[in-house]
Amino acid sequence: MSDSSRRSTAAQFFEEEDKESIKISVYDKVVDLLNQASLIAKENDKVGILKQVQELIIKKDSNLLDNFFDEMIAFQTGSVDVKKFVIGFMEEACKVDSDLLPKVMPSLQHLLNDENVNVQKKVILSLPSVYRVLLMWLSITKSPTPEMTQVWEIMASMKKQLYNMLDSDNDGIRTHCVKFTEGLVLTLSRRTEDSEVPKSIKTDEVSLDSLPDTSRYLKVSKLEEEGKKMFDALLQFMASPHISSINLITVMSSLCNIAKQRPAFFSRVVQAYEALHVNLPPTLAKSQVSSVRKNLKMQMLSLLKHPRSVDFLTNITTLLTDLGATQNEVLKVMPKMEETKKRKRVDPQSSIKKIKIDRDDDDDDIGMTPWTDRESDRRLQNVNMRQTAIDITAEDLVPRLNASNVADLVLISMVMLPDTMPAHFQATYTPIAAAGTEGQVKHMSRLLATQLTTAGMGKGIAEVQRDQAAQKNSMFDGGETPAFQGTSPKQLISTVVGGHSATSKLDLLNKAMLPPPPMFPSKRGVKHFKLSAVTNLLDPEQGEALSIMALERLLDAEKKATLGNALAARTKILSCLVTQFGGEFKEILKEYIFTDLRNRVELAFTWLYQEYAASMDMVAVTTDTNKHNMTSYDECLTLILDGLLKVADTKEGIFHKVLLEAPAITDNALYILRRFCLDDKRVESGLKTLRTLIMTRPAHRLRFLDVLLEFTSSDQNELRSQAITCTKNLYETQQAHHAIEYYAVQMLKYLLLPKPSPELYAKLRGRQVAPDTWNEDAIKMSLYLYLGLLPSNHKLIHELATVYTSTNADIKRTVLRMLEAPVRGMGMDSPELLLFVENCPKGAETLVTRVIHILTDKAAPSPELVERVRDLYHKRVPDVRFLIPVLIGLNKKEVIAALPKLIKLNPVVVKEVFNRLLGGHGDVVYQSPLTPAELLIALHNLDDKVDMKTVIKATNLCFGERKVYTQEVLALVMQHLMEATPLPTLFMRTVLQALSMFPRLHGLVLNILQRLILKQVWKQRKVWEGFVRCCQRTKPNSFQVLLQLPVDQLKDVFTICPDLREPLLEHVNKLTETQRSHLPPAVITVLETDPMIEKKAEEARLATEERLRREAEEMLKIRREAEERAAALNERKGDKRRERGRSRSPVRDRKSPGRDRRSPGRDRRSSSWDNRSPGRDRRSPGRDKRSPGRDPRPSKENRVPLPDPSDPSSVKQEPADPSEPPRDRRDRPAETRDRRESQIAAINPTADVTVLTSDLPVPRRRTSDIKRNPSPNRRNPSPGSEGVTVVKSEPADKGYERNK
Amino acid sequence: MSDLRIAVVCSSNMNRSMEGHSCLSKKGFNVRSFGTGNQVKLPGPAPNMPNIYDFNTTYDEIYKDLLRKDPELYKTNGILHMLDRNRRIKPKPERFQSCKDTFDIIVSCEERVFDQIVEELESRERSENHPVHVINIDIQDNHEEATIGAFLIKNLITQLSECEDIDNEIDEIIQEFEHESNRNILHTLQFM
Repeated sequence: MSDSSRRSTAAQFFEEEDKESIKISVYDKVVDLLNQASLIAKENDKVGILKQVQELIIKKDSNLLDNFFDEMIAFQTGSVDVKKFVIGFMEEACKVDSDLLPKVMPSLQHLLNDENVNVQKKVILSLPSVYRVLLMWLSITKSPTPEMTQVWEIMASMKKQLYNMLDSDNDGIRTHCVKFTEGLVLTLSRRTEDSEVPKSIKTDEVSLDSLPDTSRYLKVSKLEEEGKKMFDALLQFMASPHISSINLITVMSSLCNIAKQRPAFFSRVVQAYEALHVNLPPTLAKSQVSSVRKNLKMQMLSLLKHPRSVDFLTNITTLLTDLGATQNEVLKVMPKMEETKKRKRVDPQSSIKKIKIDRDDDDDDIGMTPWTDRESDRRLQNVNMRQTAIDITAEDLVPRLNASNVADLVLISMVMLPDTMPAHFQATYTPIAAAGTEGQVKHMSRLLATQLTTAGMGKGIAEVQRDQAAQKNSMFDGGETPAFQGTSPKQLISTVVGGHSATSKLDLLNKAMLPPPPMFPSKRGVKHFKLSAVTNLLDPEQGEALSIMALERLLDAEKKATLGNALAARTKILSCLVTQFGGEFKEILKEYIFTDLRNRVELAFTWLYQEYAASMDMVAVTTDTNKHNMTSYDECLTLILDGLLKVADTKEGIFHKVLLEAPAITDNALYILRRFCLDDKRVESGLKTLRTLIMTRPAHRLRFLDVLLEFTSSDQNELRSQAITCTKNLYETQQAHHAIEYYAVQMLKYLLLPKPSPELYAKLRGRQVAPDTWNEDAIKMSLYLYLGLLPSNHKLIHELATVYTSTNADIKRTVLRMLEAPVRGMGMDSPELLLFVENCPKGAETLVTRVIHILTDKAAPSPELVERVRDLYHKRVPDVRFLIPVLIGLNKKEVIAALPKLIKLNPVVVKEVFNRLLGGHGDVVYQSPLTPAELLIALHNLDDKVDMKTVIKATNLCFGERKVYTQEVLALVMQHLMEATPLPTLFMRTVLQALSMFPRLHGLVLNILQRLILKQVWKQRKVWEGFVRCCQRTKPNSFQVLLQLPVDQLKDVFTICPDLREPLLEHVNKLTETQRSHLPPAVITVLETDPMIEKKAEEARLATEERLRREAEEMLKIRREAEERAAALNERKGDKRRERGRSRSPVRDRKSPGRDRRSPGRDRRSSSWDNRSPGRDRRSPGRDKRSPGRDPRPSKENRVPLPDPSDPSSVKQEPADPSEPPRDRRDRPAETRDRRESQIAAINPTADVTVLTSDLPVPRRRTSDIKRNPSPNRRNPSPGSEGVTVVKSEPADKGYERNK
Repeated sequence: MSDLRIAVVCSSNMNRSMEGHSCLSKKGFNVRSFGTGNQVKLPGPAPNMPNIYDFNTTYDEIYKDLLRKDPELYKTNGILHMLDRNRRIKPKPERFQSCKDTFDIIVSCEERVFDQIVEELESRERSENHPVHVINIDIQDNHEEATIGAFLIKNLITQLSECEDIDNEIDEIIQEFEHESNRNILHTLQFM
């Protein structure tokens, strides 16, 4: 099938025949084969046979070609395949024998018009080589024969036909025409040294340089010109808007081939590719676009391999990058730089000129060139022009592609964008890799230039046109199409945006991009009017005076101007004049403005703006005096502001307005504003202005902010507080957040310096000298702002803590003192604050404590806060003081655990703690973890943990809170404590205290006492003592309780408190017999034994004994004397005495001494008791004796014997008691009586007497008692503990009855 | 059928191109198949351990080699089956770059192969300026996709072979085909 196989078969076929025989046998063979071929019906076989023939007559023996050529040609009437074969045969034949051309050409022409496209295509494909042969054939001949001319003519007409076939409806035909044109261009151009020639055609390559210049028939230059035209045709074909993808790919590769083989065309091919890249036909489908781009990329890479590409390196690489080629791909094929140096760039201009010149003389031989058509000629010419015009325009555009122009272009293009993105745009779009670089700008301008040139615009085209016009004028008659219309409307359609309305867009582009129409300087000398030429210089003084007068006239003309409706103009004139000339004018204008400020503010503003415009060099009129500097403007602004500062306070609105509307605020203006703010009355409006400035002028924000921030440390209270408020607001708006924070933090950090920074001080306090140490003012200065910001940004607390830890005590104190308001502002729920408490830095404990205190001062601590503090306490700072603020937030257990430590603190603090716990703290209602009762109980339970004194103090504090520790609470406490085992040490103390505070608790106390017995209260010494004291206090109601004590304990009671015994005994004696019977006898015994009295009795006894002994001795002596002197006379008297003395001695011997001694004491006591009881009894009947608390008086009386230091009044009262004196009085007779009794007893010494007498005094006394007070109503037999009082009086009667 | 000379090209001339070859030749097309890679690569026991042969190794030799190496593995992954099919079609894989024959249509199975083909054709010395359509249909290199791909190729080639003037109609046919198969097709015209 392929050539090689064909050849090989043919070769094999003839292998063995020797050369001589070949000739004949070949001839025969050919004849034979031809016969076969003509007979055979099957087309495929026919072609096969014919191929054999071709092999034979062309390759094997070309001499036979001539013989059989006609026969072969005859087959051209056959089928398609045969025709195609014949065409191939003819091509080959021509190559072998160019003399066959005259025969071949007509056939080819005929076949070109064959109805089968494939035949046509075959013809087209073979034509280039035929053409080459033809060219060579013609070039050799010296004089053309008519035959030759005819062949050339045929060729020319075929070329023309093919040219038209570029527009054929058949895609394949077009493709082949392109291929043909490529071949033609290659042939009709000159080879240069850097031409790349494919090996296969190297041997038979024909190019213009292989033609002899001397050829008479062929004019090389003409042919070259034609080749260029063909090339242009290709370019144009490629640029046609509706080209199919296959055609496009073909023409691209054709152009690539041309460029490589004929580097003269290189630049234009590259340009064409560039243009193509941005102007891909809109008709391509997406995948076709990618195919085309792929192909384009490949072609570009292949071009890049060519040494000539060096001159277009940037263009090609940019394009490649746009096409998505990687750096590697590009670098791989990049030509070596050394080669490039050898090459000189061919100036495209020169070639164009050449073309033009060439073209000029082609009028005379129309017949020689097929491109005689004037119009197409012109069109091609334009293609040429356009390429160069692109260069020119691109160069022109590069500097114009500045940011603003590009932005305009983009904006304009936005309007033109189609609603949906065209498919091909989407497919071809690649992000611009090197946007903004010089290379890219160049690339862009090139692209734009391509578009512009296509649209017939731009500098390039204008220049080309001018050239053309010039040439036309000189060489041609007019009437040619002007270059501005030189493009077909078709080409306008495809633009970057793929768009419709391209023309209008380009118009806009034109406006945006093109330079204004060149202004030709008129050289005709018209003499201008020159003022200086006709005027003389005034002398300065006069000039000045005149100008001032002029100004004043203007100023005076206010009314006229108003009437004449020229106020605006006047204002403008005035401001301009003053701005321009300055000097004295400024003062004058200022004066003028301030004489009627309200109405002339507008003028002031206009002036200000004018000054600004002048200083910014924005006004047309410039003088030497104000150049680019702000001094004049500054002066103006300062003048106005200064003036405003001085005028009455009502004009602050204007001051505000001027500052806000001034185009720029100079430093001086700012200084004036500062002064303004320092004025006490103007603080508010000044700060308002400052604030507005900060808000509205972001560019100079920091400058204004600086002023404001300085105010925040001012020593003027009003200014400072307002400045801080203002700063805080700003801080919250976030606009100047960082600057403010930074400043505040810096200020805070100044505190870390060993002493106040003098610079800072000077800045903030004017001329004052910084103190050597941190005094309060200095400290506060640094703190004001920071603390002011704290409520707005809670995070600042951390920084504060850090600084705090490293400052000295003074500063710490000040910080703590100033902390209250900000911390309160932050509130308890601030997460930052909580965090701060949580991470309390070392050394900042006091700060934290303070913070917590402040927080909890007015409100109950939040659970979060409590949690943090608790953590802190447990983990970091075991200082119980931490807990105080959050005490009420803790749970009961924790509070109790902390109590021991808490109550050890100094009393004031303890009081505070209790206040908190007892809810007396602040105005807030909250639920304390401990009820008052629980607190007191807790305190009691601290026994073992804290020393007694502290606890006592603490409990005293509790008792001090009368409102809290009411009777009910105390009752509750006592009841609760009573349950505890062991009993708290302080229990009885508390009971006593409660009792003294609330006598009504009497009943309860008794109850408690009673129950304590059950708990064997005596086992705890302290409590026991308390118990006894309590009994003492509650007597006589406690007697019943006492009587329930075991004997030993009762005895102990009396040891501790001997006073109790007798009343108790008395009480017992008053009991009824039955009641008494319940008492164990031991108790009675104990009751009756008074250790004190025994002692006294003993003493008394000893004394009596002594006395008696002496008496007895005396008596004996006397008796003896008497007996001796007078015996009978004094006998009765002596008897009596003797009897007495005798009675004494047996008493001493027989009677138990205690009883004897006791009796008088008991008597005495009893009498006193008796004396009092009636009084009380007298009062008692109408009373409910169960609640003794109701009447304090009896209990007071009860208290009398037990002196209470807490109630001195009762002590004093004692002697005043009216019932007392009688007791003494009555005691005496009782004593005498007792003595008498004892004497009697002594006189009647019997064994029984002892028993009898032991009770004797009681019944006797009782008898008298009853006689005195016989009140049977009171004899209530109920023995219950409730009826203590009753029981107390009853036994007395019972005892009496029992005695009876 | 038609006298179109068709080449189906993939990387190793094993799976995709052979599937296409088999499919087209069953339909009676004048078809050949090639690979553009430097070697013939077949999946091995692990992704990083492919079996590599040069283009002169016959399918039969490869078959036997793999059978010797791990019959189970290569049976389960279908490679032996594929090689068996291949050796029934032609003796050994062919490298496209080594073949100087002329075709009318070259179908490539992935873009890289397409690029290699075009590059090869560009660099080739043109002998008779015969136009050849190079068409790329992306096919993943596995059995299923190869079967589907071969079916697509067959459809396309059938359409192309049925048209009167391929050069004129190929654009439309390809676009339509692209639309039907919902695949992106690359198409270019080269001369060889």
